[in-house]
Amino acid sequence: MAQRAMWLISHEPGTLLRGTVRFSRRYPTVEKRAKVFNGATYMPIPEDDPFLKALLFELRLLDDDKDFVESRDSCSHINKTSIYGLPVGGEELWPVVAFQKNGMIYACVPLVEQTLSPRPPLISISGISQGFELLFGIQDFLYSGQKNDTELNTKLSQLPDLLLQACPFGTLLDANLQNSLDSINFASVTHPQKQPAWKAGTYKGKPQVSISITEKVKSMQYDKRDVADTWQVDGAVTCKCDLEGIMPNVTISLSLPTNGSPLQDILVHPCVTSLDSAILTSSSIDAMDDSAFSGPYKFPFTPPLESFNLCYYTSQVPVPPILGFYQMKEEEVQLKIAVNLKLHESVKNNFEFCEAHIPFYNRGPITHVEYKVSFGQLEVFREKSLLIWIIGQKFPKSMEIGLSGTVTFGAKGHEKQPFDQICIGGTAYLKLHFRILDYTLTGCYADQHSVQVFASGKPKISTNRKLISSDYYIWNSKAPAPSPLPQLKKKQLHFKGIPIPEA
Amino acid sequence: MLRWHPTCHNYKDLTKSIQLSTGGIWGEKAKKKKKSPGSGTGWPQVFGGEASVSRSVLGVRAMSPVIRRALPVRTSAARCFPASSRLVLAPPASPRPAGLRDACRPAAGPKAKGPACLTMGPPSREAWAQRLSAFRASPSAFMAGPEGEDLGRDLLSDLRSEKLNEQTKVSLLALSLEYPAQLWPDAPAAEAAASSLLDTLVLLPPRPSALRKPLLLAATTALVAGGALGPTSGASLRLLPLLLGLASGRDLGRGFGPASEQRPLQATACECLRELESCQPGLLGGCLGLLRGLLGQEGAVGPVQPLSLLLALALRNTLVIQARAGAGLQGLLVAGSSGTGGSPWTWTLAEEGAAHLQPQAPSWLAAEEGECGLAALEPNPEEARELRAAVAQLLDTSYLLAPVAQAQLLWLLGWALRGLRGQLPVLFKTQLVRLLGTAQLTLLHAVLALKAAFGEALFTAQDEDLLLRRLTAAAQHPAVPPPAHLFYLHCLLHFPENCPLGPTGEEAAPLLLGPQLCRGLLPSLLHDPMALLARLHLLCLLCAEDEEKEEKGQGQSPQLYLEDLLAGLRQRAALDGAPRALATLCFQASYLVAHCLAGQPTVMTALTHGLVQLYRDRPVLAPHFVDLLDQVGPELGEPLRVALQQEVVARPGKDEALRWHLQMLAKVADGDAQSGTLSFLQAAAAHCKDWGLQQALLQVCRALLRAGVRGGLADLLQALAWQLEDPDGRDHARLYYVLLAHLATPKLQVALGPSLVAPALASSLVAENQGFVAALMVQEAPAPIQLSVGPRRAEGPIPVLQLQVEVLEPVYSLELRFRVEGQLYAPLGAVHVPCLCPARPARPLLLPLQPRRPAPTRLDVRALYTTLTGLTCHAHLPPLPVTFADLFLPFPQPPEGTELGFFEELWDSCLPKGTESRLWCPLGPEGLEALVSRHLEPFVMVAQPPSSYHIAIRLPPDSRLLLRLEAAQADGVPVALRTDDWAVLPLAGDYLRGLSAAA
Repeated sequence: MAQRAMWLISHEPGTLLRGTVRFSRRYPTVEKRAKVFNGATYMPIPEDDPFLKALLFELRLLDDDKDFVESRDSCSHINKTSIYGLPVGGEELWPVVAFQKNGMIYACVPLVEQTLSPRPPLISISGISQGFELLFGIQDFLYSGQKNDTELNTKLSQLPDLLLQACPFGTLLDANLQNSLDSINFASVTHPQKQPAWKAGTYKGKPQVSISITEKVKSMQYDKRDVADTWQVDGAVTCKCDLEGIMPNVTISLSLPTNGSPLQDILVHPCVTSLDSAILTSSSIDAMDDSAFSGPYKFPFTPPLESFNLCYYTSQVPVPPILGFYQMKEEEVQLKIAVNLKLHESVKNNFEFCEAHIPFYNRGPITHVEYKVSFGQLEVFREKSLLIWIIGQKFPKSMEIGLSGTVTFGAKGHEKQPFDQICIGGTAYLKLHFRILDYTLTGCYADQHSVQVFASGKPKISTNRKLISSDYYIWNSKAPAPSPLPQLKKKQLHFKGIPIPEA
Repeated sequence: MLRWHPTCHNYKDLTKSIQLSTGGIWGEKAKKKKKSPGSGTGWPQVFGGEASVSRSVLGVRAMSPVIRRALPVRTSAARCFPASSRLVLAPPASPRPAGLRDACRPAAGPKAKGPACLTMGPPSREAWAQRLSAFRASPSAFMAGPEGEDLGRDLLSDLRSEKLNEQTKVSLLALSLEYPAQLWPDAPAAEAAASSLLDTLVLLPPRPSALRKPLLLAATTALVAGGALGPTSGASLRLLPLLLGLASGRDLGRGFGPASEQRPLQATACECLRELESCQPGLLGGCLGLLRGLLGQEGAVGPVQPLSLLLALALRNTLVIQARAGAGLQGLLVAGSSGTGGSPWTWTLAEEGAAHLQPQAPSWLAAEEGECGLAALEPNPEEARELRAAVAQLLDTSYLLAPVAQAQLLWLLGWALRGLRGQLPVLFKTQLVRLLGTAQLTLLHAVLALKAAFGEALFTAQDEDLLLRRLTAAAQHPAVPPPAHLFYLHCLLHFPENCPLGPTGEEAAPLLLGPQLCRGLLPSLLHDPMALLARLHLLCLLCAEDEEKEEKGQGQSPQLYLEDLLAGLRQRAALDGAPRALATLCFQASYLVAHCLAGQPTVMTALTHGLVQLYRDRPVLAPHFVDLLDQVGPELGEPLRVALQQEVVARPGKDEALRWHLQMLAKVADGDAQSGTLSFLQAAAAHCKDWGLQQALLQVCRALLRAGVRGGLADLLQALAWQLEDPDGRDHARLYYVLLAHLATPKLQVALGPSLVAPALASSLVAENQGFVAALMVQEAPAPIQLSVGPRRAEGPIPVLQLQVEVLEPVYSLELRFRVEGQLYAPLGAVHVPCLCPARPARPLLLPLQPRRPAPTRLDVRALYTTLTGLTCHAHLPPLPVTFADLFLPFPQPPEGTELGFFEELWDSCLPKGTESRLWCPLGPEGLEALVSRHLEPFVMVAQPPSSYHIAIRLPPDSRLLLRLEAAQADGVPVALRTDDWAVLPLAGDYLRGLSAAA
């Protein structure tokens, strides 16, 4: 269970090499073991340059896909996980765990403690999950709170020291690099009690606990008889516990109002010490009925120092907060559009903001718009071929608003206008962006009085919650739309895991 | 003038360290001068004390003797220390042995002193930074360059340089942590380097320093990576007590840094020890008791995580090694049992372990085959209690570990205890609920490992169901990052089930994972390619099951969903200007479906139609089609080929996409629909203006030639030979025409077939230049060779067929090529015989077989040889049968007296994976004894003639067949039969029934 090497590579399209190795680390003692374990199938870790080239090619990042290249484009060259075999110098380096996020490619090579031919199944290689955790940890560290390149560079320059702490010999000791950084700084002398490894020091100061619940609502609406609209809520509960003592115990209960939607697929932070089996088994797979466990959801835990996500959940709410339709038709040289949005009466009509973005793909720039809105204002971004309908803080009393108009486009330019592989022909969508403070769609809340803290001093407890939209699509009902699950047709069910189309 | 970087030091520290390294004389001067740092006058003298002279000015070769002298002296001085921790750890500030003081002097020798060197300065921070980055850019190039040779030595000496700041030194150490093999390539160099690093550590002043930790890590790395770790290595014998002392929190004196540094160093020392134990399993076998004591300590305690992980690893290694040696735990777990007397290092254990490193988490597939071997360890009740206590102790505090470390602990302990008798799996139970709740990848993975290790002993059917549900939820949960989704999907298809149905090692949806559970895991066009393919695979598996169950008419079937999805993918791939990745994805999905659902004609038909439509929309995808046709089986390949051929020839031959049509046609054209193909080519010829198009056209002609098309093709070639603009094209057309006119079809096929040595190339030109003429010489001939299977050998690791070969006329350079029908066996190598004559009997030829399944087959045989007249001939020989019995191999003979026990163990091990059967084997007049001796002699394990035999047969690749022939009667014998492979049963039955007939 160890890593042989790791790399951070920034993807730089347009440059000569298309990327730069920003950081790499090799573990020679692990390499020594790899040589013994892999035997005749051992392949040494390549130097940075050949590795970079092979990885970018495999990830299709060399933007050179004009011609068919068998080693990359062959139909039998199928990757179903983020684990690759890289051809380097005529041999294959496997397994390489790699993924791209925010323009950075994270890669490592876990040790496989046996021969590599035939390839053992990934599930039996302990270093795979560890490699992922290492890379996720680095990603979290680099991008938490980071805003610009300077900060990123500072954090990159801290990595060698941090890995000396968190992964000195290739075996990951803690994926939370922030914690490693803290433990470098907290050089306390002795500890009278057993100190958790995930808690670098102890807090000194005024006790306080803050809990924040953020729900995201996704939706796909079609306004079609044979395709079911879908929507899904997922929530995250974030905590920051500033409490004295090494192992203070806290219990947080999440509650639902009587008509609330039960929480499902609950995943908790590892610091949670025990879980009710009802929490563990409540799953979105099962059909919903009244007998479903509806809380209170109790989470006893010993908090780490830093802010952390106590739990994540999903839920199936009975209605989407905003229901709408979008009709778009091509009429000669122009598009005729009509939009209607209705806020559900049960939803708090007090937005921080609410906007509908209406993009037009695979067309030229907008040259002319004629429109009528029943509420709010419309902004036109001609070059981006985008309309933004700013709805504002409140829906009107009728809870229903409309937009209609015609849009004319110029000749299709080269590259300037957005390309999309889904929005072909009449296939089009509008996307809603909104945020409502002090509100959750499930009704879920953390009652201040139900928070139990077993530590010295009475802590100040603060809670807050919010609902934000995420991937909230309304598809043009006058053209085919990418429907997720046809077998759910004619049944109002909720789907899950539908990712965002490139917008 | 010497430059001192302002941020590099503080004066006080510097003064101290100078005192230390020079015996105080210059240090006093420095102290006096420290108030005027800016003046610079005091410093040169101080710096003169250290031997670092800029080699960038003086040249490396000129100065290196000084350094070369300096370093070995220091090292050997350090070696003067007895290898006991007390002396090694003596604080540097205390009075030291004269040897060391002297050793330090040459470094400050007269040559290095004086103004000359002062003006040059040491390799500065910047110089090192440059050097390091040059090295990192390409270590191999750097080491091959002029600076490479000295890098390791310079690094070690500059670590003690007073002129480099700590940060630079840390970066030097970081380099040595990553590239020890380049810096110190052999064991003596690594040993010397480790010694030098330890000396540097001891010489550090007793103030906080960022160097102690990396120095410990670097010394450990140098020893391990250089292969120097061992009982005869001085550095090892210094490092180990030092690490153990630090790890156990012993007071090592003020020299080992301030108290605030003790705890981090304690953790580092544990990590170093763990790495040493990983690379030299068993090394810490004697420290188990001590480590347990440390972990259980009350009051001021050591860091829990490093100690826990170290103990878990040492415990696991000890268990495996002791089990292998057949020894018990020998009280190793009891605190204090090892520390008294002698050294705690168990090199002997380590030597046994070193022969084969211990996988921290062995592959569970291998483990299923019984390689775990822990069963041999049968601890006595006392030991079992201690072991349980130790494991419980580790698990109880496991929540104090970081999640990734918890996962490691579980993998280690789970696989350590697997196979040990007793109630141990239950210990894990308490941890499971907590672990199942988290989304941590490593923790869930560790739970799966426990599942694989213990199966039903730890997970009931309900637990298994819950685990699957959690896994399914995690594979799609919005809070889990996409790469983890994909890994969970992989885990689902390789889920370690309690009662697996299918063959191990193949991807399959677990039994409990029904359509309901999979609902959220279906692919959609909106997924990224990897997620789409992973989910599509699951969908295909569901479709395959759906077909098996024939549950139709209940709502929309997964099949229809699949077809919708594929249609969507094709629509996107057909989009004009779509990136190639979209086309690739579409073809990968088609391949996956063709691979999984080849047996479902409806799916294949729809797929064929869809793909042809795609070609119609976007002929530029021809290379993808060619690739797909190369990869898929005949279920899709054949109808698709025919449909594409029809599609192409129906086009007018002047399409813009002519190039693609010709490429397509070269792949799909054959003897069918010749007239259409030929008229297409005729029409196309007029538009083939450039060389590339003409070559593409000729490629099609070549394909037609090989397919045996004659009539109209001759006309076409003749026309081309006259009509094409490019002379090269005309020449080729003429050549093909001549070939067509003069060669018989089989000969043409051989002549134009893919080159025997080189892979087929796209250009006809290149293909022809590669041995085209030689290929022409090959003659098709009736075989003058007779091949038959000789007596069975039944020995060695794999079955080997003995072939008897007879010839009717002299044959030279005979090459026999064998092809196995289907995929039952690995491809067979050719057999070469230099010369065979009818008069001289040939020795039997040996043909090793590598069955992938123990099943009979037929070998297709071809012979290529040279005749007396020098002609090269090719002949097709009658197929050779490989019978079931040809695959039989005996088990290795167990030691005398243990045969019965061995057989019983084999017998027992067949179940529950395999099966058992009984049948009646009729006997001829000769009786059982003769039957056995004639057919089964090599496999008899236990014999009690004439009535009872125990027979064990190994069936490669990894099956076995066991027979008990007992209580024979006059006309037959009852046979009890066991095998670990279901598929073998009917074959074994046929074989046994056939025996009497053969007799």
